Amino acid sequence: MYADANGPQRPWALDLFPLIISPDDWTGIELGIQQRTRLLNHIMADVYGPQTLLKEGLLPAALVQGHPGYLRAMQGVQPAGGMFLHIAAFDMARGPDGKWWVVSQRTQAPSGLGYLLENRLSISMLFPEAFQGMQVQRLAESYKALVDSMKTLSAVADSRIVLLTPGPYNETYFEHAYLARYLGLTLVEGNDLLVRGERLYLKTLQGLEPVHGLLKRLDDEFLDPLELRADSTLGVPGLLQVIRAGNVQVANAPGSAFLESSAMLGFLPALSKHLLGETLSLPSLSTWWCGEQAVMQDMLPQLKNCVIKPTYPGTGMESVIGHTLSQRALDEWAGRILRHGEDYTVQAYLPLSQTPTWQGEKMAPRSTMLRVFALPDGQGGWRVLPGGLARLAGKNENIASMQRGGSSADVWALSQPAKADPALGAPTAQHAEPAHSNPVPQNLLRQRKQPVTSRAAENLFWLGRYTERAENSLRLAQLTLQSLAGLDQLSAPLLAWITDMTISNALVLKSVPAASHTAQARRVFERSLIAGLGNLNTHASVGYNLRSLKSAASAVRERLSQEQWHVIVQMEQEFFRRCNALAPAGPSAHDYSSLEALRTLDVASHYLAAITGAQTDRMMRDDGWRLLSIGRHIERLGTLSGAMALGFETGAVFDDSGFSAIVAMFDSTIPFHAQYQQRRDLDALLDLLVLSQDNPRSLSWVIKSLKSRLLKLPGNAPDREESLTATLPALIDMLVNASQNPNVQELLAIFGTCKTSAFTMSDQVSQRYFSHASSASQSLSA
Amino acid sequence: MLLHVRHETHYHYTPAVENAQHAVHLRPNTGVSQTVLQHALHISPQPVQQREWLDGYGNSKLFFSLQTSHDELKVTADSVVQTHARSANTPELAWERVRDAFRYRAGAAYNSAWEFAFASAYVPRHEAFANFAKPSFTPGRSLLEAAYELMSRIHNAMTYDGDSTDVDTPALEALQQGKGVCQDFAHIMVACCRAMGLPARYVSGYMLTQPAPGQPRLIGCDASHAWASVYCPSPDTDEASQWFDFDPTNNRAPGEDYVTLATGRDFLDVSPLRGVIRGGAQHTLDVAVTVTPIET
Repeated sequence: MYADANGPQRPWALDLFPLIISPDDWTGIELGIQQRTRLLNHIMADVYGPQTLLKEGLLPAALVQGHPGYLRAMQGVQPAGGMFLHIAAFDMARGPDGKWWVVSQRTQAPSGLGYLLENRLSISMLFPEAFQGMQVQRLAESYKALVDSMKTLSAVADSRIVLLTPGPYNETYFEHAYLARYLGLTLVEGNDLLVRGERLYLKTLQGLEPVHGLLKRLDDEFLDPLELRADSTLGVPGLLQVIRAGNVQVANAPGSAFLESSAMLGFLPALSKHLLGETLSLPSLSTWWCGEQAVMQDMLPQLKNCVIKPTYPGTGMESVIGHTLSQRALDEWAGRILRHGEDYTVQAYLPLSQTPTWQGEKMAPRSTMLRVFALPDGQGGWRVLPGGLARLAGKNENIASMQRGGSSADVWALSQPAKADPALGAPTAQHAEPAHSNPVPQNLLRQRKQPVTSRAAENLFWLGRYTERAENSLRLAQLTLQSLAGLDQLSAPLLAWITDMTISNALVLKSVPAASHTAQARRVFERSLIAGLGNLNTHASVGYNLRSLKSAASAVRERLSQEQWHVIVQMEQEFFRRCNALAPAGPSAHDYSSLEALRTLDVASHYLAAITGAQTDRMMRDDGWRLLSIGRHIERLGTLSGAMALGFETGAVFDDSGFSAIVAMFDSTIPFHAQYQQRRDLDALLDLLVLSQDNPRSLSWVIKSLKSRLLKLPGNAPDREESLTATLPALIDMLVNASQNPNVQELLAIFGTCKTSAFTMSDQVSQRYFSHASSASQSLSA
Repeated sequence: MLLHVRHETHYHYTPAVENAQHAVHLRPNTGVSQTVLQHALHISPQPVQQREWLDGYGNSKLFFSLQTSHDELKVTADSVVQTHARSANTPELAWERVRDAFRYRAGAAYNSAWEFAFASAYVPRHEAFANFAKPSFTPGRSLLEAAYELMSRIHNAMTYDGDSTDVDTPALEALQQGKGVCQDFAHIMVACCRAMGLPARYVSGYMLTQPAPGQPRLIGCDASHAWASVYCPSPDTDEASQWFDFDPTNNRAPGEDYVTLATGRDFLDVSPLRGVIRGGAQHTLDVAVTVTPIET
């Protein structure tokens, strides 16, 4: 279920052609799905209420109490408005005759609402005229209704709904982030929430904020380690008590997973007659649960023409298509079914219909499954999202699944021809929405300010620190390689500074002999630097910093623009690809190309420039952004004051080439030349790199920025005793004083203080604003 | 018999726990075999919030939470229970008839004992249980007779060993190693019955132990106990009277010297104290149970 967050991105395969559904077909689907959703909600209400369906023998206990998805802790719970199911997904197949059939249903935490939206945006932009001309039904209203309905049901003015995700290691995390951003909901993990007095709260920078609704993308069993799986670290201890007390709406109510069993499909026609007094208008594939003796006996001779499916989840069994089996294999299956009939469900086999897709340069047919969604209509019922997710099977495959490397397509549900008022000649309001209009419904935009969760704050802070660290290590590696590659004799102070800097920033191991004047020593040093660039076993290599940057970013993806995220992913991928190519050809060939290495670093710097640009210019300046910026400045203060101190210790500041290297490390070569031309004196250096009020890399400027960001964080006003900014003004004064009559010892001491302050401040910020991994939850049992 | 039960649970934490959520099953309920006369639960530190709830099986389940830092948690339950002699009624019913009643047929009569017919977290389905149970369930044999023999065979096949398992040991592992504690004995019996298609449940409680001759009763040396209960319907009795208890650990049917605390599908449904704590990386646990007869 979990993919490595750092692993390759799941390829986002979207077919060019949408699956187009005619107005009549769509109306049929709509009515049928609405009816089925009503029915499923009724079943929930009965199973968690009076249980008449069990008592009257309409539903076998084996499919309720015998199903792991039935949650006893939910017995007796009646959610507001009787709404157990807010989102229901139905997988459908079309037969050769063009008729649609329901194949399965998902209620626990159905995925697809985010993918679907991304598909729609991409495809409608590719075919704007077709999209407009064909009267494709729009999606925004349905999404808006989902959130509105939860707000209404929570019966609290100004209620807060959040989206609960298992976190960035989940394979559908992309979708959670995307959906949260689109719906304007805060994306939270279990650790961001806590329960007090049967109420649910969100941990934010401002403190605890009440939560009234939970759109959950977490499987039920992980929701509450106190009453469900004790080993779950993804849930919220005590959550079920909040639900039972009626203090939070959960979409969907926990305990619906038993509805997902394929065996359930066989009982629905009778249940519909019993509960709704209606015949199901949209058929499902004929389905037989083999737990009933008579049914099983009937089915055993039919296996060849059917699909055998597991009744229960978690068995690892995959569906088996009867006609693909040998007679012997069929007999073995019959034996299994005889022994444990209840474990198996047999379904009529329907070859999937095919839709045209675009395969590189030509069209080709692919087997297709359609997933559609029922969402609240705001009046206590459900509407069907007019669209869906078409899943296309791979070539020669008859099972459509994105996990199996299939792809997806947008679904265009066409509306009935507009009954335009001839007098006005205007289409209905729904169709007036232009194809390129902002897809975010207006009233979602007007939501109150998003809180910053403690977890998001921590990730943003580290995103800032790793961004800066990546930038500094890149620049230092570039400087070092450029210096060593030069033909000139290097001055002793410059060599010393380079050696000390690379070692103290852990770009080169301490055990590597210092770069000295001999060409050989220089080559050895250069080689170890290049060999270490992509080394993930040290905690400071350029590669490690880039990867950590990506990890931190992936945990706050809902706050980054798609472009920004893609640049981060590309930077990391390309860096490692190039690093791998840098490796020497054979054991004897030690000839790392310093030129290639420099090119690798250059490419990464270009990406990084785009990333820092996006950070400064394209993010909301809320408290989360402030922490990102604080992270960057803390890191900058630590690294640059260290670089200064080493400059004085090694004497590099008093050496022409050393002087230039330090200025370059501060990324200040251009302003230096502009202001001081060819001067090489200490006053100029201190002026630009320590005192300047205009240079964003001078130590004073960094401290000032830190101070102003910190002051804006909650609980940090300057007059408060615990203000984190208390020591900063003194630090600036010390820098100013020490620079007036430069004295090496005094300067070294003050640079040391700056470096220590950076570390202390980092600890203080994390102490005050982040929740800590050290106090992770654990379960007890006695 | 009039019995006083004291059940003490004591946690020490290092470092302190910042906050905690707990759920306990420590209040015995009145039923056919006992009447609860008094019950008091003392929790230290004092919880900021608590709520008692009847779980799906009719057990009292108490939830409480602690929001302030604490380095120990002490929960003491005191109960005074009048136990009754068990019914002498032992219906003679072929085990297959009960099994067949728990096979689904459309429209067939429902029975609340269905709940206990399926595998559960600590009692998974496995051929090993069926294989172990089969010799006792010969065709046409009376269910209670077969169950009694099954109990004896478990008692003889298993060695009681307090160090061999812990609260998380699954029944299958205990069966395979042939060792366990009362919890394992009970789980195995429940699993064997379910493997034969018969509803069976797990009972947690206490039993009165007799001090060695001439020795005083020791305080806190008793432990909480567990046994199995098998469903056997008989006409004209209420639902509660259709469950028959078997104690495979002691190879006997529980009597007046037993106090029932809670019943469920397995240990997980009725664990005396469960919790999720934040902090407290290191902790020690002491549990002391004392059952004392009250002279009347």
